[in-house]
Amino acid sequence: MASADGGAYSYSLTVFSPSGKLVQIEHALAAVSQGTTSLGIKASNGIVIATEKKSSSILIDDSMIEKVAVVCPNIGIVYSGMGPDFRILVTRARKSAQAYWKIYGEYPPTKVLTQEIANIMQQATQSGGVRPYGVSLLVAGWDITRGPSLYQVDPSGSFWAWKASAIGKNMVNAKTFLEKRYNDEISLEDAIHTALLTLKEGFEGQMTEKTIEIGVVTVPTQAELEAGKVEGTGRFKPTFRKLSEEEVRDYLAL
Amino acid sequence: MDVSFAITGKGYVILAADTTAAHSIIKVKLDEDKIKALGPHLLMAYSGEPGDTVQFAEYIERNIRLYQIRNTYALRPSSAASWIRRVLADSLRSRKPYAVNLLLGGYDTNTHTPHLYWVDYLGTLVEVPFAAHGYGSYFALSLLDRYHDPEAPLEEGLATLKRCIDEVSKRLVVAPGNYKVKVVDKDGVREVEL
Amino acid sequence: MSIMEYNGGSVIAMVGKDCVAIASDLRLGVQSLSISSNFQKIFPVTDRVFVGLPGLASDVTTLHEQFRYRVNMYTIKEEREIEPETFAQLVSSTLYERRFGPYFIEPVIAGMQKTPSGSLKPFIAATDLIGCLNFAKDFVVAGTASSKLFGVAEGLWEPDLEAEDLFETISQTLLNAVDRDAFSGWGAVVHLMCFFEGSTHPLAQPRRSSTNRIASPVAP
Repeated sequence: MASADGGAYSYSLTVFSPSGKLVQIEHALAAVSQGTTSLGIKASNGIVIATEKKSSSILIDDSMIEKVAVVCPNIGIVYSGMGPDFRILVTRARKSAQAYWKIYGEYPPTKVLTQEIANIMQQATQSGGVRPYGVSLLVAGWDITRGPSLYQVDPSGSFWAWKASAIGKNMVNAKTFLEKRYNDEISLEDAIHTALLTLKEGFEGQMTEKTIEIGVVTVPTQAELEAGKVEGTGRFKPTFRKLSEEEVRDYLAL
Repeated sequence: MDVSFAITGKGYVILAADTTAAHSIIKVKLDEDKIKALGPHLLMAYSGEPGDTVQFAEYIERNIRLYQIRNTYALRPSSAASWIRRVLADSLRSRKPYAVNLLLGGYDTNTHTPHLYWVDYLGTLVEVPFAAHGYGSYFALSLLDRYHDPEAPLEEGLATLKRCIDEVSKRLVVAPGNYKVKVVDKDGVREVEL
Repeated sequence: MSIMEYNGGSVIAMVGKDCVAIASDLRLGVQSLSISSNFQKIFPVTDRVFVGLPGLASDVTTLHEQFRYRVNMYTIKEEREIEPETFAQLVSSTLYERRFGPYFIEPVIAGMQKTPSGSLKPFIAATDLIGCLNFAKDFVVAGTASSKLFGVAEGLWEPDLEAEDLFETISQTLLNAVDRDAFSGWGAVVHLMCFFEGSTHPLAQPRRSSTNRIASPVAP
């Protein structure tokens, strides 16, 4: 009999405990809450997702670390939890977006892609020989039907939409902070500053362009929409992008 | 060389098929039944490559029966036709396709209407007021264009069918000698003598 | 003998001013022998999209069922109806899936496409049997009478036709083309989709798609 915390039910992924829990999933959630803080805020004209990027040693080349990832031109994701697990999910999400493009000639709506990722994460809670993904995700994107949307996906595979939320180490404090600061009319610029302020609350050490990563969704203007595809590229202008280190530095300076 | 006809009328479908079983130019059997009852209100006349025909017809018959046992009611004619078409269409792109042509006559007990479907080995399915397969179609279709009446009572329908059979006997070099005729209506399926 | 001409049949789609039309004949034959004068080749996809499937009759049914399945799944999964252009891409990828053993169909798509400003604009497209898309601004044709359809359409079509005139133009184009084609004819059908600028909410009630038998099948 396995002992310590979970008892006999803590190892087998597919066995419910008598109280109706799948403890491995709860352990995965515990791994997430030890991860660095990430957050997302939906503004009136866009979305910001941000995370702190901390390396365990000053000798690590932190330009290699990527915590905010572009999935397709209209969707980006950020995570809290285990980096390697995130990498796998990013690859799967990008493949899913390209598969969608091959069928429909356009990129998936945020909700559809979120659902795809959530399905992948759910399957890891019910298949043999695997463990749940040790990450929670914030998915930010823009599409013509639903406009800007921000979703959270958990290791269990459940997902839901937020106006603003935080995941990882300081999520409880960060959420309380966001609740005080949030309003429906907030602009993208203000939201980016709120995001930085929120991260600052629980930040250990110096907040610099090297220790912060930011991604933004910009809602296209009516004129941009009517202009259609960008001349010569056959594609629409991307709505999600990562901020460069210079841009992050400028926001931090303000 | 198979010849088969079908005619719809007021509340019924008549199916007729010749009874000759041939091996190349030799007649080996003169009373072969090429019309199967697939259910209480569904008939199927089949023709085509010898061997494929019976094999295919029995496969369809048994699967339609299985559906009836599992669900306690029979597939209605439109659904049965759709499924049978799918089997042929899938078969067409397989390693060894079935070379079987069908006429499906049924009476829909839900809507109280007769239905006739023309189906070929390619998986073509179309609902028609009258139909024929084989060399007989070159004679029968033009006759039926002239004489078919969707509101005709059974006696008239059988008389029209007789016109087709007589014409084939008169003009077709390889005309078959005998036909089996079956009818499906609200009372179910039965064989009739012409 | 070409498989594309085995059963016969033709489809055409035309763009008008705030309207679009798609039309086909109703014949199904086996080479020169006509089997049916009521064989449907144009199918509704959504309230605003139609697809015409001329070619091998078996594949007409198979592809119609395939598209119905895929569009139903799309509608449920995405909680929205598919747009004409997206559907055209779906048609293309569905056909290209069978690149080395194709369906013998040359689809024609017609619909009213939602614009960013919330109104609707006419859309037509056609593909070859392996899904190569052709987005035309005026008209698209396919089927055994396609060469004749091209000629007549080239002569009759003009830009910005009003709904009534578009109906007349597509009807006359189809009828006169299929009359010169032994494998098409035996009745015809026209579907017309219009957008009325007058409606206060553009998407509330713009769609009136009407279907007209412009020539009855030959009476049995």
